[in-house]
Amino acid sequence: MSIPLDVRGLEPPQPFECIMEQLADLKAGQTLEVLLDRTPWPLFRILERDGHTHRHVVEQDGTVHVWIEGL
Amino acid sequence: MKPGAALSYEATPAFSVPLRFFLTAPLFGMLAGLLLMMEPAALASRWTPAALSLTHLITVGFMLMVMTGALFQVLPVVAGAAIPGARYVSAVVHLTLTLGACLLSLGLLLMSPGMLLAAAIVSTLALGIFLIASILGLWATPIGPQATPRDLRLALVGLMVTLALGIALILILSRGQPWPLLELLRLHIGWAWLGGVGLLLAGTSWLVVPMFQITPNYPGILTRVWSPIAFVLLFVWSVCTLMGLSIPATVITALLMLLSALFPVTTLWVQAHSRRAKPDSIFRIIQFSMVNILVGLVVVAGIELTLLEGTHWPLVAGILIMHGGFVSFISGMLYKIVPFLAWLNLTQAGVRAPNVKKLLPEIAIKRQLLAHALLSLTLLVAAISGDPLLIRLSGMGLVVAFALLLSNLFKVFRQYGVQQKMHSGYKEIAE
Repeated sequence: MSIPLDVRGLEPPQPFECIMEQLADLKAGQTLEVLLDRTPWPLFRILERDGHTHRHVVEQDGTVHVWIEGL
Repeated sequence: MKPGAALSYEATPAFSVPLRFFLTAPLFGMLAGLLLMMEPAALASRWTPAALSLTHLITVGFMLMVMTGALFQVLPVVAGAAIPGARYVSAVVHLTLTLGACLLSLGLLLMSPGMLLAAAIVSTLALGIFLIASILGLWATPIGPQATPRDLRLALVGLMVTLALGIALILILSRGQPWPLLELLRLHIGWAWLGGVGLLLAGTSWLVVPMFQITPNYPGILTRVWSPIAFVLLFVWSVCTLMGLSIPATVITALLMLLSALFPVTTLWVQAHSRRAKPDSIFRIIQFSMVNILVGLVVVAGIELTLLEGTHWPLVAGILIMHGGFVSFISGMLYKIVPFLAWLNLTQAGVRAPNVKKLLPEIAIKRQLLAHALLSLTLLVAAISGDPLLIRLSGMGLVVAFALLLSNLFKVFRQYGVQQKMHSGYKEIAE
């Protein structure tokens, strides 16, 4: 199941905080699908530390699409 | 994950890595204020030893110090680039840059050939180590659609050229090398303003202004071409200046100034379209900075066209662009970057960090930025009037404004320590 989350237009670190909040409730088999204004490098480091699988794509308009798998 | 992007995920360096630079930089600003209090002649002409010393206390001691520190930790955050061995490299760079800035300012003040030579050696060491480390970090960065990593690379080359020209000037002053002093000096200033600081500020702004000010992105065409064109024009202008081709050099100077003006004009435009409901003091100081740069460029144009004659006009242009423009912008960015990095480091360490606004309250920022902005105007009046009392008062103002900046940055550091200590306390209780 995919859970959409759009954090475009928010001032840092609000996007980060929103994603962390959603991650806390994310279950195995669920995917958090996030739209951001830019590539969240620091978030990726935390996701890898915590064992979350993730991938991202940068769209033509600069929007970054990130998929995070629940544990 | 994109292929080749793995290097980007190395751990963010410790908070102490950039912080030591940020906490040292205001001390040089305070030293500049003290110098102005003791030597009002610093605002009599830009060629007096005191004026040269003052300029380098601000440019090398404050601006370069902050920019170097910022690059150490901002690069991993905004560009995904990690500087290898950041903790050790930053300690050496910080020490040598501090020593270099002290020797350079004192050497210029006393016009001591020995001290200037020592400054050249130590500064080369500092920037050389930093440049190699950051080039390694940036080269490992995957090239994305963002122009920032490319522009930061160009800015680093610009800083190297500025340093090389500075060393050439030191060799003329200390060893009497028969090189063209005025031409090299012109190139040194041009490369420092646009090739080093200008490119760094613009390259950072493409990312940081839309990110923190909730503005639309800068137009893609501008971010794609602004820095490369500025860099190529600077190079051609340098060749023309050294070869004595005055007409092409003048035409390129005009083009460079128009290009330079495009950056503040566009920044003001994107700010005018911000989605932010209520502008904060940092939003205002960035606007103030851009207006200062624009007015400074108009004054430089007036000087170039010999419409503005008199020794105080170059000083006015310098105050507008460096203090009103660059120092304002850098201060504003420090207030966004330092609390954010503290928050990020706490979060990455598993500490439940408070809101960034609690790490440094808006009122403290507002007070300092207001003092800084008022001081910019006082400095201008002091430079134009040449009144020694007003110059000394401006010096005192510089000391106060930079002391407030230091105190604000220290508040974040203290909060960071408190949060870490509380977290360790909870962990001990839980165990």
